Amino acid sequence: MTAVIETRNLTKTYGSVRALDGLSLTIPRGGVYGVLGPNGAGKSTLFRILLGLIRPTDGEAVVMGGRIGDVAASRRMGSMIETPRFPPFMTARQVLVWLSAAHGLKADTARVSGWLERVGLTEAADRKVRGFSVGMLQRLGVAAALITEPELVILDEPTSGMDPPGIQEMRALIRSLSEKDGITVILASHQLLEVQRVCDRVAILNRGKLVREGAVSELTASGERLRLSVTPISRTLEIVSSLPGASGVLEGDAVLATLPRADTPALLRALVQGGVDIDEARWVGADLESVFMSETGSVQTPETIHAR
Amino acid sequence: MLADSVLSELYRLSRNRMAVFWSALFVPLLFVVGGITFHLITKSKIAEMTSKLAPDAAASMGATNLGHDLVQAAGIAANGAILVFMLIGAATLYAGDYRWETWRLISARNSRLNLILGKVGAFKVLTVVAMVVFLIAGLIFSLSGALINGQEITFSVDGGDAGDFGLLLLLGYIRIVQYAMIALLAGVFTRSLLAALFVPVVLGFAQSLLGGPGIAILQWEPTSWQSQLLMPGLAFDALKAMITAGVGAPPAPEGLMLKAIISLALWLLAPLAGAIAWFNRQDLSKE
Repeated sequence: MTAVIETRNLTKTYGSVRALDGLSLTIPRGGVYGVLGPNGAGKSTLFRILLGLIRPTDGEAVVMGGRIGDVAASRRMGSMIETPRFPPFMTARQVLVWLSAAHGLKADTARVSGWLERVGLTEAADRKVRGFSVGMLQRLGVAAALITEPELVILDEPTSGMDPPGIQEMRALIRSLSEKDGITVILASHQLLEVQRVCDRVAILNRGKLVREGAVSELTASGERLRLSVTPISRTLEIVSSLPGASGVLEGDAVLATLPRADTPALLRALVQGGVDIDEARWVGADLESVFMSETGSVQTPETIHAR
Repeated sequence: MLADSVLSELYRLSRNRMAVFWSALFVPLLFVVGGITFHLITKSKIAEMTSKLAPDAAASMGATNLGHDLVQAAGIAANGAILVFMLIGAATLYAGDYRWETWRLISARNSRLNLILGKVGAFKVLTVVAMVVFLIAGLIFSLSGALINGQEITFSVDGGDAGDFGLLLLLGYIRIVQYAMIALLAGVFTRSLLAALFVPVVLGFAQSLLGGPGIAILQWEPTSWQSQLLMPGLAFDALKAMITAGVGAPPAPEGLMLKAIISLALWLLAPLAGAIAWFNRQDLSKE
């Protein structure tokens, strides 16, 4: 497994604040890789360092085989960091021609039109950017990151400001970049459901440190629980808690029990013998949100989801 | 790599019609319009005067030598108005990426040195375009004057004129590029387009005050080292006077040419070096 990015003990401090605290991370080539974390976890700082926009205080990083700031390596990458901005007097098409020129590529009309079409901006291609909505700017930002046909693309909140159909289109585009174009995509998003649907692997950062890393399927499988629709609930919780190695929590009108799968028959027997009526019992996988919250100890509120 | 940077900057600048108009086209246009108006007014005044004289008096005004007028236009191609309006293009090129928050789009694609030099290269091209347009405006001014006044039009350039023309253009070009270097330094240092525009204006105004009443109060010689080094405008004027000095003109003070050249070179290179040094350590994620 070759890596597109390797960081070792990467540290960035702003005064007394440690935005990144000895981060060591290896991101493999291929697939879609999610970087998650609550506000202030260090995601944007990591991206800015990888793109050479800022220098780390300590540690090192190898990006596409080159050191940070190595232009030859950087030219094999595309990026969209935060809400993209463009010269307001240019049209979307002109922006892509300009960025192609900045990259040393000839203005290829077909390539420019192709990317405008893939991000859904064909109709707005010849409109001035100053009139674009946030969602349209995001789409153009993604096209700008891809116009030089990079091997690796970093997208920071690519669906921010988009409507639900737009989010769905962007999700499909990101998957196709990985599957059809063979581009490695690194994605940061606060939309955990989106990350779970799109990413193959994720890294969870908290306070500048890596707290969890792995395939999405592994992370969610490790948190599966038995969902019990039962009456009475209080008696159920008592019985679950009395079993060795098991615990239960209330979720809505059901109980979520954590226990080894092999102990399922024993638990069900104990519940029946204890006078509990079982309406339904099924194993459910943990979603990324619950993994994220357990790893970061954060509570998701609309503010933490959308604020930066 | 540097060529990529220059070409992309030129492409973007070419799409910024307002910046191109105000920096390279406005002053020449004003020159043409003002010139034609001037010719029309002077013709009517002369007509009033000549009506009282012999009927063929207008013919005695002589011919218009476009070659000679081109040399004169080259001599004023770096005039104050051009310098100030060219700052619009300079500020747009040098500080536009801070204003539009677009540094992060291009900064990963090239070295920082190339990014800055690319902007300087694009401004040099803009300067050449502006000077060519100004020369064309000068020709239109002369032609319109000849046509309005019914003068004969000739074109003759001797060897001296051609030399003066080339040297004056080169000097004017250096003066404009040098003046815009202040905009580069101000723009990079403050990350502000307005600062890139106004710092050179304020500095230029201060230098002109110092060059006028200032050196008289300080009792400095205009040809002294400190005057020449502190005021590149004086250095420019000194070199221009040397180029246009006719036969029999008193020789320039000894060493003045060297002082003037060093002054222009210093004001050209020092802001560039400062801007590159500052830009290299700048956090471009904060815009």
